[in-house]
Amino acid sequence: MGLQSSEEAEMGTLGKPVTAAKVVKVSVVLITILVITVIVATMIGTATVTWEQLWNVLSGHARETDPAKLVIFRIRLPRIILAGLVGFSLSLGGVVFQALLRNPLADPFILGVSSGSAFGAVIGIMFGFSFTFGIPALAFGGALLTMYLVLVVGRKKIGMESSTIILAGVIINAFFTAVIMFFIATAVNDQLHTMLFWLYGDLSQSRFGELAIAGPAVLVGFVILYCFGKHLNLITAGEEAALHLGVDVGKAKLVCFLVVSLVVGLVVAFSGLIGFVGLVIPHLCRMLFGSDHRLLMPASALGGAIFLIAADTLARTVISPSELPVGVITAFLGAPFFIYLLRKRGSRWTGS
Amino acid sequence: MRIKTGFPQVEDIGLGFFWGNEPGEEHMILRDHGRKKEQVFLALACIVLLLAAAPCWGKVFRDALNRTVVLDSPPQRIVSLAPNITEILYYLGLGERVAGVTQYSYYPPEAMKKPKVGSYIRVNAEKIIELKPDLVLGTMDGNSSHTIDLLGQAGIPVYVVNPRSVRGTIATIACISDLAGVKERGDEAAVLLTERLEKIVRKTTGLDRPTVFLQINIKPIMTVNSHTIHNDVIRLAGGKNMTGNLPITYPRISREEVLAGKPDVIIISSMERGGRFERARQEWLRWPSIPAVKHRRVYLVDSDLIDRPSPRIIRGLEIMASFIHPEVNWSGGREVEKDGAAK
Repeated sequence: MGLQSSEEAEMGTLGKPVTAAKVVKVSVVLITILVITVIVATMIGTATVTWEQLWNVLSGHARETDPAKLVIFRIRLPRIILAGLVGFSLSLGGVVFQALLRNPLADPFILGVSSGSAFGAVIGIMFGFSFTFGIPALAFGGALLTMYLVLVVGRKKIGMESSTIILAGVIINAFFTAVIMFFIATAVNDQLHTMLFWLYGDLSQSRFGELAIAGPAVLVGFVILYCFGKHLNLITAGEEAALHLGVDVGKAKLVCFLVVSLVVGLVVAFSGLIGFVGLVIPHLCRMLFGSDHRLLMPASALGGAIFLIAADTLARTVISPSELPVGVITAFLGAPFFIYLLRKRGSRWTGS
Repeated sequence: MRIKTGFPQVEDIGLGFFWGNEPGEEHMILRDHGRKKEQVFLALACIVLLLAAAPCWGKVFRDALNRTVVLDSPPQRIVSLAPNITEILYYLGLGERVAGVTQYSYYPPEAMKKPKVGSYIRVNAEKIIELKPDLVLGTMDGNSSHTIDLLGQAGIPVYVVNPRSVRGTIATIACISDLAGVKERGDEAAVLLTERLEKIVRKTTGLDRPTVFLQINIKPIMTVNSHTIHNDVIRLAGGKNMTGNLPITYPRISREEVLAGKPDVIIISSMERGGRFERARQEWLRWPSIPAVKHRRVYLVDSDLIDRPSPRIIRGLEIMASFIHPEVNWSGGREVEKDGAAK
């Protein structure tokens, strides 16, 4: 992970320096919590799964048609892993956008990725495409389209000025939201249900096939972004300072924008829109671990995964056998906790 | 229309009857030409066709999605994934065999005591697997293919129905009875329901078709176009749906458009009774330029009777017919001659 403590001195604004050991320590702790969360989430659900059954299934002793095996492998695990990937990506996206735009209100959808992919998904649903390939492909295409528009509009003048990009994102978001509303108003009944589920965020349709696409892509995206951790620190500290230190701010920003939007666009294509994770988890982690992106990025990403798996487990169990939209739980749990930490510790926001 | 393509294999019945609403449409054309004998013949043909699907176990069925469903023995634990399917099962006297229902299966009241498997649009696959049913009955518009695949992998047969018209509903009832191994009951029910339906069609044939405005929601005002079962009910009851030609299935429309459409009858459908809907009726009564208001023909109907493809839809049809054609003597049993003379 190439952390050289000699460089820490350059970042006066960031307070206590972060060491490689600390990054590893925090990551190991969070990964342990993540694994425990996954196991607990696998056990909980409408159908009862005993430890014995879980053990049989995991050790390969269960028959192919064993209900417990189906419930665990076909229903719960794909869903839990997707929740983890989505939480991971959204939270990572939040951290990166907040740094790039130097704006504490930035979330992973700020470049219009949400409305763009929703636009693609709604079109896919209207034409009756499948959830396996057609709808995610169109949603991803929609995300790329809005991202392209925002960057074209936002880049026009001076490099990648934050406020221009934010405004471009807001306007393009508004436009596509209007288009989506139009489609919803004219949709036939059965499509309407599907559209609304997508817009609320729906992890229940997950299959291992999608995870095989999304998983590696998300990890590659994380590694690339992590390599820019130092750049993000400097950009947060102030672009002028970064320029003085010889960082090509424009190029770093562009690469980060592209990678993070691709990652977010990809997971959103499979999950629909899930709010709050990408805004709150990065701030929570900033309060807990400080604002050095080399620690903040892995911590937020893992934290997002843990949080969304826990939230989705609640969403599917609280009013079982029915289900709540997971966005309800993320906001319901996230907001009070966030307020508590905000009052206790302040925002720790050093970007502006 | 598939019925014409050849005479009935058991598999064909599911397809022929549930693929869209074409049987109803075909009947319609004939009826409009007033060709009565053909009608009777067709009705008989339908019955014969239903009877031809004799029960023999280890049987192969084909559902509305053209999937093959094999049942080794008559199912004893049936999970219903839609309120109308629950109603059909109870109507056929199969309440004992119902192992699970969706959240809003309120009718008949006994159904509310059954285990719930989520809502009609979002079922809980885990719960269904846990109930170990030997047949799951789903609908085409409500249940996702993901769920159906999952249940298939769990070795649970899923049969999908898709009744989109009143006649399609009757056929679905017969079909479900066949699946459950109580074919005689279903056929008997189908004959009785078809008789009630034909009586209405007979009595309204040749009469003028009043323009009907059906309001399914108060705020905003919403109605239905021709791609709905409500439209089929209005049509069979001898009316003409004012908004049949609109492009959206359940469009919102303004009061102004209702004024311009000059409906002869306004029918407000709702799940609740009293208060709110009485007020909606009063709202309309302020516009005497609408023919329906001038002649005091604004009615309320229980929406459960006209918007779900269940056996009760025939009751809904009878009520709608009495609203749309109050001039007809509905109480009379078999007054074919009299009505025939009237036109």
